[in-house]
Amino acid sequence: MNFSFSDDQILLKNSVRAALDEQCKPAHVRSMSEDPIGYSDQLWGEMAKLGWLGLPFPEEQGGAGLGLVELALVIEEMGRAAYPGPFFATVVLGGLGLMLGGSAAQKDKWLSAIAAGKARATAALLEEHLDWDPAATAATAAKSGAGWTLSGLKRFVPWAHAADVVLVPARSPEGLSLFLVDPKSAGVTLKPMIGIDLANRWSEMRLDKVAVGAEAILGRPGTAGPLLDSLLRRAAVMSSAEMLGAARRCLDMSVEYVKVRDQFGQPIGSFQAIRHRCAEMLLEAENAHAAVYYASWALTAGAEDAAVASSICKAYVSDAARKVCGDAIQVHGGIGFTWEYDLHLYMKRAKGLEPLYGDTEYHRELIVRHVAAAK
Amino acid sequence: MDLNYTPEDIAFRKQVRTWLEQNLPKQEIRTLEDRRAWHRKLYDAGYLGMGWPKEYGGGGARPMQQAIVADEMAQANAPAPTNSLGLGIVGPTIVVHGTDAQKRRYLKKILSAEELWCQLYSEPNAGSDLAALRTSAVDQGDHFLVNGQKIWTSGGSIADWGLLLARTDPKVSKHKGITCFLMNMRQPGVDVRPLKQITGSSEFSEVFMTNARVEKGDQIGKLGEGWGIAQTTLGYERGGRALARVTTYSSQFHRLTEAAKRLRRHGKPLFEDPVVRQKLGRIWSEVEVERYQALRTLTLLERGEHPGAGGSLTKLSYSEFEKRFMELALEILGPYGQLTEGAPEDFKLQIDTAVGDHGSWAYAYLWSRAGTIYAGSSEIQKNVIGERILGLPKETRADRVGGKA
Repeated sequence: MNFSFSDDQILLKNSVRAALDEQCKPAHVRSMSEDPIGYSDQLWGEMAKLGWLGLPFPEEQGGAGLGLVELALVIEEMGRAAYPGPFFATVVLGGLGLMLGGSAAQKDKWLSAIAAGKARATAALLEEHLDWDPAATAATAAKSGAGWTLSGLKRFVPWAHAADVVLVPARSPEGLSLFLVDPKSAGVTLKPMIGIDLANRWSEMRLDKVAVGAEAILGRPGTAGPLLDSLLRRAAVMSSAEMLGAARRCLDMSVEYVKVRDQFGQPIGSFQAIRHRCAEMLLEAENAHAAVYYASWALTAGAEDAAVASSICKAYVSDAARKVCGDAIQVHGGIGFTWEYDLHLYMKRAKGLEPLYGDTEYHRELIVRHVAAAK
Repeated sequence: MDLNYTPEDIAFRKQVRTWLEQNLPKQEIRTLEDRRAWHRKLYDAGYLGMGWPKEYGGGGARPMQQAIVADEMAQANAPAPTNSLGLGIVGPTIVVHGTDAQKRRYLKKILSAEELWCQLYSEPNAGSDLAALRTSAVDQGDHFLVNGQKIWTSGGSIADWGLLLARTDPKVSKHKGITCFLMNMRQPGVDVRPLKQITGSSEFSEVFMTNARVEKGDQIGKLGEGWGIAQTTLGYERGGRALARVTTYSSQFHRLTEAAKRLRRHGKPLFEDPVVRQKLGRIWSEVEVERYQALRTLTLLERGEHPGAGGSLTKLSYSEFEKRFMELALEILGPYGQLTEGAPEDFKLQIDTAVGDHGSWAYAYLWSRAGTIYAGSSEIQKNVIGERILGLPKETRADRVGGKA
């Protein structure tokens, strides 16, 4: 039993933070927020060189063969920096999806390209409705010669405009299936969806009789349900790590600020009303940390409670991050509400992720189903 | 990071479980003598004072083994041992700060429950501001003479001895004039009056001391250094039983789920009501997060590190959680939640309370109000977290200005 990071893990975390402090300053986040593509190719290349893009992939595919604890450490730092770019979409949604369900040929092709920084990926997990349950998928896949024809409407597809490949769930005659789609194919229309976090991009993705080949399916037709469940759990936990990082940044900025901001002749951090709020923020951040790393470990180790731990993680961290980031604005006062001050970059990152991959209510319902089944 | 238990710990857990199956009291414990007997049985099996040094009757065990025993006892709903303050606070204080003579005189008798202990800290005007205490101990040459009043003294009415904080120098600043003593409760001049609580029971007492006597050899640490000792003592209160506490929450939660399956509203079991499900989902997330945090604390203890001010985060977290839990439970149970007796037979509302006894939800609800007050209120914990962990500036406080109390 050991709930602490190894020396290697601490080294990884420190090196990611150092690189992002250097290359992903608030000015970078702001400039990418106004950029039509929204991320820096140069930083992407740097991330490939540092081995972040292949971190969880097998060594045969150019990866580092590490687990979700290490990936969470990296993603937490990205949340802390409000990193603008398709890292999460590519490595978690696309990469882990391919890792979980891809054939050897699919993995060789895509995971190696992703790890090398040559390809970007994502997944289209949500449609018009608010239901994250893959069983609610309405998009269709009709048999067409040796391949398939896909139709349907997907929404909130992260970084689809930057992706070389999108994992698309659709209902074939055999049942729920998962396909690899090139977003530049004929019949695919992308429309930007802009949220409050300008450094994180989504698209509406319309598929109108999009033709894909026989090699485009992941696994056997009709078997994508469990794979999508696993992928969603991973996305829920990894997005929690990102919210945790954003919340930590908000907390750190708050603590620094209340030490120096004077009101009534004293630093406001000496007032109990402020100090108690900061203490509550730290408590929430520490509890969120425990939830994120417990679930990351449980998923990696295949622990018995991995599924429910991932729901507990997303439900708990969504609430905690909202509180911490919101309180950060409160203790900053008016300055926290201004565009020029950087606090909102991180607050918006957390808020933008809160409803994705299952919000608090969705996951609480899954938790109760688990509890009912266990007893 | 590896959150699996080692094969050694799994084997140990099994051994403890088997022992409990064979040795749990068959009948409900009713008298203090029954409880002492159970305490002695636990001690003889090596399950009390496990982390204390072997030369004073302890077991020299690892923190994980102690946690496993506490956890298995919670799992089996085993009655608590009788000398909880002696075991949890007084003993560890003597181990760290006591003289060799004190260790030999007192520790073994704490472990065997031959002498029961209480803690004489809080006063009517010195609770959260503990250093404002006024009870005095005046040097009489060969002994000290103690005068004053203590309050909220847990177990005061059964205690043979008390760990006392008293003012020995009223002229220096208030944190510097306090000394720590061991005081015999069975002497003229010590008057213990039970205090009835909102639960209706009387675990607490008021203690009045009129020219009570403390021997010179029963002073703990140096004169005027009692405040620092009290800080470490309160630290023990905040460490330890984390895993066992979560196990109790979890068994309470499953009882609540059972009740929600039996109770009906709008013709359907409450358990099928989405609002109730949301409440249950929230409680279970929080119980599990408390468990993860317990494992983090255990990791520190296993490495020989003290959680320090981090203990304040733990205490703040679980005591505030417990209040939310009981509030939600009573909301879910409706009028049944308030019952202290007379619950329908087919609908068991009894739960296993934090004190290791059966009780009602109402009793547990009332008890949950205490956790955010005793051993440093939530407000005090937040001050500690703000100042010692986050490094926020101290308040300008009258009691920290100048050299006088």
